[in-house]
Amino acid sequence: MSENDHKRWSEDVAAYMLGALEPEEAAALERHAEGCERCQAEIRWLTPALDALPESVEREQPPGELRARIMAEVGRDAAAAGAAGGDRQATKPGLVERASAWVRELGSGPMGLRPVAGVAVAVLVVAAVAGYAIGGGIGSDESGEPTTFTAGNPPGVTAKMVSEGDSGTLHLANVRQLSDDRVLEAWVQRDGEVEAVEALFVPDREGRASTELPDMEGVEVVMVTAEPEGGSESPTSAPIVTIPVQ
Amino acid sequence: MTVRREKAERLADEELMPLIGAKDPEAFEVFYDRHGGVAYSLAYRIVGERAAAEDVTQEAFISIWRSGARFDRARGSVRSWMLSIVRNRAIDALRSRAGKAPKLAFDDDAILEQRPAEELTEEEAMRHETASEIRGALGELPGEQSKVIELAYFGGFSQSEISRMLGVPLGTVKGRMRLGLEKIRGELAEGLA
Repeated sequence: MSENDHKRWSEDVAAYMLGALEPEEAAALERHAEGCERCQAEIRWLTPALDALPESVEREQPPGELRARIMAEVGRDAAAAGAAGGDRQATKPGLVERASAWVRELGSGPMGLRPVAGVAVAVLVVAAVAGYAIGGGIGSDESGEPTTFTAGNPPGVTAKMVSEGDSGTLHLANVRQLSDDRVLEAWVQRDGEVEAVEALFVPDREGRASTELPDMEGVEVVMVTAEPEGGSESPTSAPIVTIPVQ
Repeated sequence: MTVRREKAERLADEELMPLIGAKDPEAFEVFYDRHGGVAYSLAYRIVGERAAAEDVTQEAFISIWRSGARFDRARGSVRSWMLSIVRNRAIDALRSRAGKAPKLAFDDDAILEQRPAEELTEEEAMRHETASEIRGALGELPGEQSKVIELAYFGGFSQSEISRMLGVPLGTVKGRMRLGLEKIRGELAEGLA
């Protein structure tokens, strides 16, 4: 290759990297560069400068709803993949399908009208697919006697929920120690809506944690997430345990 | 925080990508938490509207979630790859909005983050410091060089279009782009020395 030939292409390297060549020009330069070590070296040398451009922009804080929407869509995909692949980790039959259906139901409305439920269901789907929700009730009792539901297997987090009348008590074991600025927060799902239980709690040194669930009427699922100190209005992390109670 | 999430947080981006390719939502959640801010910022810088920036960011991240396995380590860092996807989608969005001029800002000096410093993680703080240095390097460019780079990278204009817009020969545009990128590269190299 002659010096002039290389120089002709080299003049376009910067424009190519900035995306300022027409598609056919960019394709031609790429074909040339495949066999031109000097062009390749120039591209390698200028790459850090190009990478610096997006890093230079003024930082804007993305809205929390954006994260919720993205993770909800990811949850839908994961649930579909889990269902299609015959998810072997979710041993509670139908949980993945139920969670996926909740997401679909949420997704059918105008975006952003129910962001709290959207986030919660998204992480619930995550939990189902990832195998967190592996428990089930031990029968139900309509006579008013306490009913116990369990979830999880050691050495992971295990949960026992005792429901009596319209209230319940949730006991967790094998919970990892949290950092000082994190707490546990319980959530209940009722008629497709996810609500925070207004009680924050932390595990003791042995990894045990308990909280009261004052209103269990119509609750279908209970889950617990780790949240920043003071709690959150909607879940910000995947559940550490999910307990189907129907 | 779950054990899986904790493990994912300890992984480098390049190690997260195979997990994302295997459809691990928590790995992807960590990936978004690391890069969602700069992605949204870049999208907003290009499209100039928050709603459109959200759409671009969402499309880009879902695209990555669905095609994470396509990342080629040999072609650069995960972050650069991700930002190139955001940039391309933002430019597409800009071009599809007929009659709306792109948001172009040439005042690279008037910049700093809105969140108080104590809210930033150490890693974020380092990136912000780096971003500040990069803005400094951009600010050092002669105006005619920064303008053609701005129009090309953030405005999505071709070199021919820029030539016509500025009323200067195409060769001049090529030269300013090259000199500008070389100057930024030189500043970065000095910063590392």
